[in-house]
Amino acid sequence: MTTTPARPQRVDPLLVDDAGHAELLLGNEAIVRGALEAGVGLACGYPGTPSSEVTDSFARIAGARGIHFEYSVNEKIALEMAFAASLAGTRSIVAMKHLGLMAAGDPLTTIPYVGTIAGMVIVSAGDPSCLTSPNEQDQRHVALMLHIPMLEPSTAQEALEMTRFAFELSEKAELPVILRPMTRLCHTRAEVKYGALRDPEFKGFRRDPSRFVPIPANARRLRGRVNERIGIARDMVAASGFLQSHGSGKTMIVATGVPSPTCLDVLRSQGLEREVKLLHLGVVFPLADEWLLQQLRDVERVLVLEELLPFIEDSLRALCSRHGLDVEILGKGTGHLPDHFEYEPRVIQKGIHAALGLGDPPPDPMMAEPVPTRPPVLCPACPHRAAFFAARAVFGDDTLYFNDIGCYTLGFGAPLKAADALLCMGAGFTLAAGVSRTTGERTVGFMGDSTFFHSGMPALLNAVKSDANMVAVIMDNEVTAMTGFQESPTVEVESGHPKRRVDIEGVVRALGCEHVETVDPDNLAATTQAFRRAEARSGLVTIITKRPCPVFFRRVGDGGTPRKAGEESPGEPWSVPYTIDHSRCQHCGRDACGQRCDQPPTESFQRSMARARSLEIGTAKNNPPKVAPCATKCPLHLCVQGYAAHVASGDYAAALELIMQHLPLPDSVCRVCHEPCQIACVRSAIDEPVGINNLKRFVLDWAAEQDEFPYQPDVEEAHGRHVAVVGAGPGGLAAAHELRLRGYQVTVYDAASEPGGILLSGVPRYRLPLDVLRRDVERIRAAGVQFELGRRLGDDLDLDSLVDTHNAVCLAIGAELGRRIELPGVGPKVVDALTYLGSNRDGGRATARRVLVIGGGNAAIDSARTALRCGAEEVVIACLENRAQMPAIGAEIHEAEFEGVEIKDRLQAVRLCDEGVICAQVEPRVADDPSLQHDPKNFDVVAGTDAIIAADQVILAIGQEVNTAAIAWEEDQVIINLDTGATRRARVFAAGDVTGGAQTVTDVIAQGLRAAWGIDRELRGEAAADHRLPPPRVSAQPAAERPGVHRRHSTQRQQPAELDRTERTSSFAQVTGVLTETQARAEAERCMICGQCGNCRSCLDLFGCPAIFVDPDMRVQIDAGLCVGCGVCAQFCPNGAIHPVAPASCEVSDD
Amino acid sequence: MTDEPFRILVVGVGGQGVLVATKVLGDAAMSAGQTVHVGQIHGMSQRGGSVESTVVIGAAHTSFVGPAQANVVLGFEPVETRRALSRMSTNTDVAMSTSPVALPSMSVRGESYPDVSGITDEIRRVARDVIALDATALALSAGEARCQNVVMLGVLDGLALLPFDHDALAMAVDQQSPERFVETNRRALDLGRQRGKQFRQQTGEERCLQP
Repeated sequence: MTTTPARPQRVDPLLVDDAGHAELLLGNEAIVRGALEAGVGLACGYPGTPSSEVTDSFARIAGARGIHFEYSVNEKIALEMAFAASLAGTRSIVAMKHLGLMAAGDPLTTIPYVGTIAGMVIVSAGDPSCLTSPNEQDQRHVALMLHIPMLEPSTAQEALEMTRFAFELSEKAELPVILRPMTRLCHTRAEVKYGALRDPEFKGFRRDPSRFVPIPANARRLRGRVNERIGIARDMVAASGFLQSHGSGKTMIVATGVPSPTCLDVLRSQGLEREVKLLHLGVVFPLADEWLLQQLRDVERVLVLEELLPFIEDSLRALCSRHGLDVEILGKGTGHLPDHFEYEPRVIQKGIHAALGLGDPPPDPMMAEPVPTRPPVLCPACPHRAAFFAARAVFGDDTLYFNDIGCYTLGFGAPLKAADALLCMGAGFTLAAGVSRTTGERTVGFMGDSTFFHSGMPALLNAVKSDANMVAVIMDNEVTAMTGFQESPTVEVESGHPKRRVDIEGVVRALGCEHVETVDPDNLAATTQAFRRAEARSGLVTIITKRPCPVFFRRVGDGGTPRKAGEESPGEPWSVPYTIDHSRCQHCGRDACGQRCDQPPTESFQRSMARARSLEIGTAKNNPPKVAPCATKCPLHLCVQGYAAHVASGDYAAALELIMQHLPLPDSVCRVCHEPCQIACVRSAIDEPVGINNLKRFVLDWAAEQDEFPYQPDVEEAHGRHVAVVGAGPGGLAAAHELRLRGYQVTVYDAASEPGGILLSGVPRYRLPLDVLRRDVERIRAAGVQFELGRRLGDDLDLDSLVDTHNAVCLAIGAELGRRIELPGVGPKVVDALTYLGSNRDGGRATARRVLVIGGGNAAIDSARTALRCGAEEVVIACLENRAQMPAIGAEIHEAEFEGVEIKDRLQAVRLCDEGVICAQVEPRVADDPSLQHDPKNFDVVAGTDAIIAADQVILAIGQEVNTAAIAWEEDQVIINLDTGATRRARVFAAGDVTGGAQTVTDVIAQGLRAAWGIDRELRGEAAADHRLPPPRVSAQPAAERPGVHRRHSTQRQQPAELDRTERTSSFAQVTGVLTETQARAEAERCMICGQCGNCRSCLDLFGCPAIFVDPDMRVQIDAGLCVGCGVCAQFCPNGAIHPVAPASCEVSDD
Repeated sequence: MTDEPFRILVVGVGGQGVLVATKVLGDAAMSAGQTVHVGQIHGMSQRGGSVESTVVIGAAHTSFVGPAQANVVLGFEPVETRRALSRMSTNTDVAMSTSPVALPSMSVRGESYPDVSGITDEIRRVARDVIALDATALALSAGEARCQNVVMLGVLDGLALLPFDHDALAMAVDQQSPERFVETNRRALDLGRQRGKQFRQQTGEERCLQP
């Protein structure tokens, strides 16, 4: 332990009433002390770095000295307040930064005419090098323009003395005096010797309307007084002691402000003190001409050291010119010094060397390699971050965002990117309104509470008046945080307790804004919903995001409990930091087996996920299933939520990539898929499932229109192995393509003259046009797959020789034979559906007038619709199943009926007769088991129900069979492993219908892929890449059980254009059109993004809380030391991977 | 002390107490009868950005510490200390904390923090003596991680790098401490000072300090 004695209680250093006492004060504090020594009675201002410590010090000590103090709402008000005090006989001081002087410009212009009564000092701190400002400006020209004396302190001691003098000067000259300290002076501590304190005086207001009311007549008279006053000031400054001359020489340096002491240091370090005459000017305006002329005598050369513009330099040139002095003036005008940025010692040294003819000073030592920058960021738990995040999640990347001055300016950078333009205090709303007005686009403007009161209120009023189409976001953190937690008009802090004063929502309503909502930004669900409502409404909407700055309220509260929004006193503390559950973070069903999705999600995808999650889940119930239900049901497990989000954001190339990574034949599949995904879609619990196939088709049609197809798969290097694929249907094509990508030489054999199999011969053209199918086939051909067409297995091709000449064979021969039953009796012509569809695929051939189709599957529907297009007038489908249980795709049945097909269910064909077919009604033996109801064996014929259905032609659509003769196997004996497609015969694999009867196209493609992987694994062992189609491990959560589903709005499903009835039956043209771009994006927006994402980095890419980072193992982590437990990240994490360190203590609220 | 002023550069991250540390050094120097200028040009640093502050003791009128001009660099954070490399020379002694504060790029772009031993090596190549220590750990053992700045002041004191005596520093720390941190800060100063002395004894005249 140290031996330091107990410390004595101290009075505030600024209040030590002891002339001669010394303290280590900031320049700003020295100014305050100077004002106290001048008996100031009123102090006010608006905080702005670097001036803030002036007002902050007064806030601390004003009460003890009987001084009136306020943070005024803006600089103009503050200046007027100080002037009012002066008129009322009270010395006043008002502080602001350089920009504030411009905001206060209006009253300032007239004050010199009226003149001050008691001394009035304006502190306007300058900021060379824009250390904390959007510009550096030279206020000295304001002094010249408005006839206001201006003093510029160079040291803290001088600042004290100069402030004291400024009150005398103001009072005697009847002019306000501007004190212009620069950042370095404001924020440098140096020893300051005190004078005596002086009590404030309040003399009262004495009427003098002819002077105090500057109507034009008075103003013209007062104008002359202004010049008299400047004359008085000129005399006073000449005798003030703030103009100093040291040394002698032919070369004179004139320095003002901080460059003056810097110059002394440079001269000393260079040993040049005796070489020059040094003039220090503490007064900028009015210049003491007589004194300067005296100093210029016998001088040949003058170097002027002043920061920013050549104000003194040009004045000296003018003076020399007027008086015919032959003196060389060096400075900015001669290129020896810059007219911008702070004068660091190096700059001054260079100027002095030039003036003394010493040549260039030695260059700086080598600069080191740069290190990572550490820009300021929004704090952990900052409510502004949550508000930006929600606004960006709803309004996306296409909306323009306008920002303003405050902590929230930090929303500018990545990842929030919430500032497309920024100008000055209060301009955010007007920029948003003005841009919206000229572009017609909806805009968003952000502004803090303090800035809103400063100058945002008239901006919002103007937006109301001009009926602006914008969303105004007022981010109310109840304090002026950026400049050091000064109170805002919203809340006054009294002895540690915040007390609400002004209700922003009331103000906004009073300004005429009808649509106003106040939300707690940390309640992400509520905030996101509020932004959604704002998005849905045109015109002006104001959203107030209200939550106290946690950093400040921890300081003024009891040291550890941030207040909850709307609470007057500290509430429940945020108990614990949050942490990451790595079993959920960056995992989805696709990679549950350790595999990775190939595509990192784009920002907008992540934004959509986060929005979906924050809208739906809210708080701790965020527990999404690993796989979205659509992906679970999809035989290929396509990442629907991924490509939907890409479509929603207009990134069609990314959507295409995500589709084609896992789906060969996409053009065909998006037209013929049986859409199990849509049956599973969570959205069906709210309205209708997302039109997933329509989205796919939009993307594929978009891709087909591009000059170059936007997706090229990676093809592994060839390794010399050769595989024969028998059958060019969907299964064979899928297997062939996948094998080709894995470096195999692949030859596809098919009996037909063109590849496509069932897609070519069994799917009618009005569903799948030939040119579309050919797009798919051509891509496969282009990948390097070879075709041997017109070769039929069993005819001119035999399996043994294929096995002999290839490393492996994949059988994908499909079920090419239409199943037949022999109906007794004599009657109309009977044909099987496959034969019928195959011979009528291009239409045009007139057939029978009345057609009866027997069967309830897709082939029956296709046959019936084809018959209509071939000229049949009456088409009837007779099926065993009842209407609701027909195995055909629901939409297809609906289309068939729309086109005029009549469906008669629960019927069985008994025998042929002259008029057509005699059918009988049937009853299922097991009424409640629909799975048994596609087979006649499970039905009983109801006696006495025979009836004739008239027909000229009968089409049997009762199933297809594999041509097992060609392979000499029984159909059900082919396959021994469905996961690999392996058969009983070595090196022979199988895919598609041959593995067990007719299946859907999409299922067959999945089998084709599995067979390809099976072959690859067999032939290359461990060298084979893992397959990308693991069975999903997590089953889908029923839609209605999803938390927060009820929060989603019902939306209209987008329908593509379709041919009308006459157009349909008169041709084989494609019935269903493609969604328009607008429709597709709207439809994609309907996706609720139900599953996890394996590559999500939303917390890093979108949120950017400093407490969240990536550790060296590339795992996302939360720094428990920085996290204060606001829990906002947990509300949007798409994987539900963030939870409090102690989950038990977590408050669960779902609404 | 020579005629040249003695220049101390203190660097760290917003919230680490850089400004308080230089205020303490300034007060101590002043109470010891020295001329002192303390530069606290902090800008927007209180939102977790870089902060630097300077203490210039002796015959100077300003608080600038230019390239290669620092006599002492006191670093509260590795990357921030490394950022001050251009102000160091073979006349510079460096006392630095090795406990990193995460960079914004780690939260936004998922980058990783630079290798701390690489940073200290780089500084060693430029500066005279480099003392690198985990000041946060010492501060925690004093009772409060936030008093790392006082620990580091203690280290400078223990190394006898300051141009004023221990009592002046201890008094200044006391004066700057809020009531509830007085005792903690005294412990922190003492722990830092012991560590500094230890370094000095270990290395003796060699002036080559290792942690």
